[in-house]
Amino acid sequence: MAKVEALPYDDKTVYSVGAFNRGVAQWLGRLPTVWVEGEVTELRRHSRWASVFLTLKDPTDGSCVGVTMPRGQFDGLRLDLVDGERVHVYGRPELFEKRGDFRLRALTIERFGIGAHLAALERLKAKLAAEGLFATDRKRRLPLLPRRIGLVTGNDAAAKRDVVETALARYPAARFTVVEVAVQGPVAAGQIAAAVRRLDADPEVDVIVLARGGGSFEDLLPFSDEGLVRAVADCPVPIVSAVGHEQDTPLCDLAADVRASTPTAAGRLVVPDLGDLLRRLDRSRAQLARGARRLLDRDVQKLDRLHERLERAPMLLVERKRARTEALAGKLATLSPKATLRRGYAIVRTDAGVVASRAALAPGAHVDVELAEGGFGARVEDVHG
Amino acid sequence: MGELTFEQAQVELEQIVERLEHGQASLDEALALWQRGEQLYALCRARLDDAQGKVEELARRVEEARPG
Repeated sequence: MAKVEALPYDDKTVYSVGAFNRGVAQWLGRLPTVWVEGEVTELRRHSRWASVFLTLKDPTDGSCVGVTMPRGQFDGLRLDLVDGERVHVYGRPELFEKRGDFRLRALTIERFGIGAHLAALERLKAKLAAEGLFATDRKRRLPLLPRRIGLVTGNDAAAKRDVVETALARYPAARFTVVEVAVQGPVAAGQIAAAVRRLDADPEVDVIVLARGGGSFEDLLPFSDEGLVRAVADCPVPIVSAVGHEQDTPLCDLAADVRASTPTAAGRLVVPDLGDLLRRLDRSRAQLARGARRLLDRDVQKLDRLHERLERAPMLLVERKRARTEALAGKLATLSPKATLRRGYAIVRTDAGVVASRAALAPGAHVDVELAEGGFGARVEDVHG
Repeated sequence: MGELTFEQAQVELEQIVERLEHGQASLDEALALWQRGEQLYALCRARLDDAQGKVEELARRVEEARPG
């Protein structure tokens, strides 16, 4: 190993570039060999080159590291890797001294197996669930009658046809904006997330359907991509996820507002049944007419009762006044002198009026005497003191 | 009188009936109130008959417009 020697200066320690790189390279060489996980991008293999180059990318944050592997070893693995595939690389950090390039020197590369995928999916699921992305209270109700339905689907016709035909059969005026995307492979997740955002930007789109028929575990992996799952959860427009068959549960199903078991089921969920709707409308209309009639009937009855009272009231009033008059007449009768006369008293009158004192009389004067029954004339004999 | 709404007429009619029923009005007043009450009744009745006619007419048109 070449020694790293400093250039001779009095007051500083200075290294040449070569010496510096050599020093760093030696230092890196002491680091342990490790497994690194990432996506293959920019794979370059040329029959004239001694090494194969690729860039390993972290799909979650986009961090990159260059990887080299001797071509013979790479070919011996018979991996047939393509860009976008997820791999585990076993290697150690290395500095390409001539250029000062840091990279990972691969000893072996393993394709990401189903076991690894499953473990990664479970980890992601637990993480997103902890963030609350799948929480029930995030789920929104689908609109009763969407103005426009956004449909994200592959260009294979089956899933698209199932959604569209089912919806049209229930509600012939249903309108769709269909965005066709790759639904498997390394570009699928990005394209689907972009399609969701594009449909969300259309103000007429009131609901979005993600539809894909069944497929292998790997085929459905894009629908569990973290970026896509977040895009689905963040989308302000309600999303129906109809991916794969009943038994498949990609993570975007969990993040969507409603999960449909099949594209056909999604078609049923996004629109109401027109016949049903019309029957309900008819019922409401009948209730409306009944309500109006009932209201009027109530007013009519109230008015009728008022009118009856109005017709009775004046007669009652007259009767009451008559009764009062009779009562007064009765009182009048008890107050009149007739009752006194019946007890034997008499009223004596002269031409000057009722006689209450002897002063109004002289012997021989004529008086009228009134009794309870009739009366008589009389002459005064004498007057007492 | 024509300016009154149905509700105003009904409220006034109620007040008249109550005054008559309490018997506080003079005889002349009572006769005048009665006459007024009958006018108000006729007005309310006419408005209700009119509304009922409209409801029935509308219900008939809705029935005819029903598809199928």
